[in-house]
Amino acid sequence: MIDTLIATLVSGLVLGSLYALMASGLSVVWTTLGVFNFAHGALMMIGAFLAWTLVEPVGLPLPVGILCGALGAAALGIVIERLLVRPYYGNRNMLLITVMTTLAAMIIMEKGAQMIWGARLKQLPRLIDGEISIASATISAHEAVMILLAPLVLAAIWAFTVRTNIGRSLRAVGQNQDSAALIGINVPFAFALAFGLSAALAGLTGALLGSIRFITPAMGADPLTKAMIVVIFGGLGSLGATAGAAYLIGLIEAILVLWLGLYWTPFVLFLIMIVVLVFRPNGIFGGNQ
Amino acid sequence: MERLLEVTDLSAGYGAVTVLRGVDIHLDAGESIGLFGPNGHGKTTLLKTISGLIRPTAGAIRFSGNDITKARPSNIVNAGLIHSPQGNTLFGDMQVHETLELASIAKRAKGGSRKNLKSVFELFPRLEERRTQKARTLSGGERQMLSIGCALMCVPKLLMLDEPTLGLSPRLKKELAAAVGDIAKSGVPLVVVEQDVEFLMALTDRLYMIEHGEVVREIDKANAPDHEEVMKLYFGEVSH
Repeated sequence: MIDTLIATLVSGLVLGSLYALMASGLSVVWTTLGVFNFAHGALMMIGAFLAWTLVEPVGLPLPVGILCGALGAAALGIVIERLLVRPYYGNRNMLLITVMTTLAAMIIMEKGAQMIWGARLKQLPRLIDGEISIASATISAHEAVMILLAPLVLAAIWAFTVRTNIGRSLRAVGQNQDSAALIGINVPFAFALAFGLSAALAGLTGALLGSIRFITPAMGADPLTKAMIVVIFGGLGSLGATAGAAYLIGLIEAILVLWLGLYWTPFVLFLIMIVVLVFRPNGIFGGNQ
Repeated sequence: MERLLEVTDLSAGYGAVTVLRGVDIHLDAGESIGLFGPNGHGKTTLLKTISGLIRPTAGAIRFSGNDITKARPSNIVNAGLIHSPQGNTLFGDMQVHETLELASIAKRAKGGSRKNLKSVFELFPRLEERRTQKARTLSGGERQMLSIGCALMCVPKLLMLDEPTLGLSPRLKKELAAAVGDIAKSGVPLVVVEQDVEFLMALTDRLYMIEHGEVVREIDKANAPDHEEVMKLYFGEVSH
């Protein structure tokens, strides 16, 4: 009984780390631009494929592959912002239009990946081989790295947006674009930076996930859905709320899988989200604004 | 004499609505100017167009010898033309000191950030008392101080203030007016939009009266030294 509980906790922690990395990127774009980026999952997938290409066929070391996966996704994110989001700034229906344009970007990237890399399943080697046992629960060392890395990445984003002027400028632009421009912030640059940073996080997550799941063109769909649940469930806007919600959702999911099985888990997860939003429309950690 | 700011035949508006129709104003080195006139006649739009928030439909804006008609707001700030907007709510979730530090993000302001923060706190001690408070929790007067403080952090070569004392209690208004007077005395040229003509007269050398998006009268203080005369002009003009 205790063993099962620990195993569930650990598995919830792995899921929570994955969701925290994905959702924090989604949240950065939302707080800066007020846009939901539906291509976020596809950017994650691109990060995984790029890392795989550099590591397997090309033969570069895995950390280099992961880094390049993140950077490649960032570059693509900046292109998406420039071509599919920026033309609609100031449009009254920007939120709805960008839902469609980023969905289009997702489809283009998924089909493009299918054409470039084919349908054969791919997988990256692990950062560290071996396994770690905590009580009776066993996880791979690679998963342990993810568990340790996620809070570090979150702390880095937090420090960036609170301690540095360039990071603060993202928050400022999200809260008041005109005032931000009038104190000398380059607003279009801030938008591109937010998209690039967010896409880098997605690419990093994909490249890390590519070692424990199969890399396929559609691998981003499920993490994207979960990241959206996390961001909405936590309360839009705050990084702390997003991180808290990521681990909470990861844990709930792990418990549900143990208790109800994989089949019913998504259903119950959405049910919980709906119930929470009925009573707390601003999210479980969101303020009453 | 060198022209610091020159606005020529400027037209601008919001979408299909034209607000400014062929506005000409200028500011020579060493002087300050005031803009007054009824509400909703284009004074704020004029400032927003100069600072690049609104793209003009016609005309030209030159600052310090450079054409800034189509420049990006951040580049205009970096040139030293700073606009402290009306009723500025700034960034609700950001602390006072964070906001002020952020306002030195422009290249021209980066180096002196720490020194400038100190002088802003000297000018507005209340901001220092509230330094870790979020902007959203500040009173109207404190927000106005923060807004002007941000403008000062940008190291203005020319400072445009849009109704700096709007909606404040008489006591606070006096405090703000004194601070703006100190800024003017420190040698920063001002473009001030105000309803209070007496305040404007004390602060500036020339006044432009703006009505229906046009400059209807230019008043040199040398010719109309008495603010009551200006008031007469003002109300005489409005009541017809």
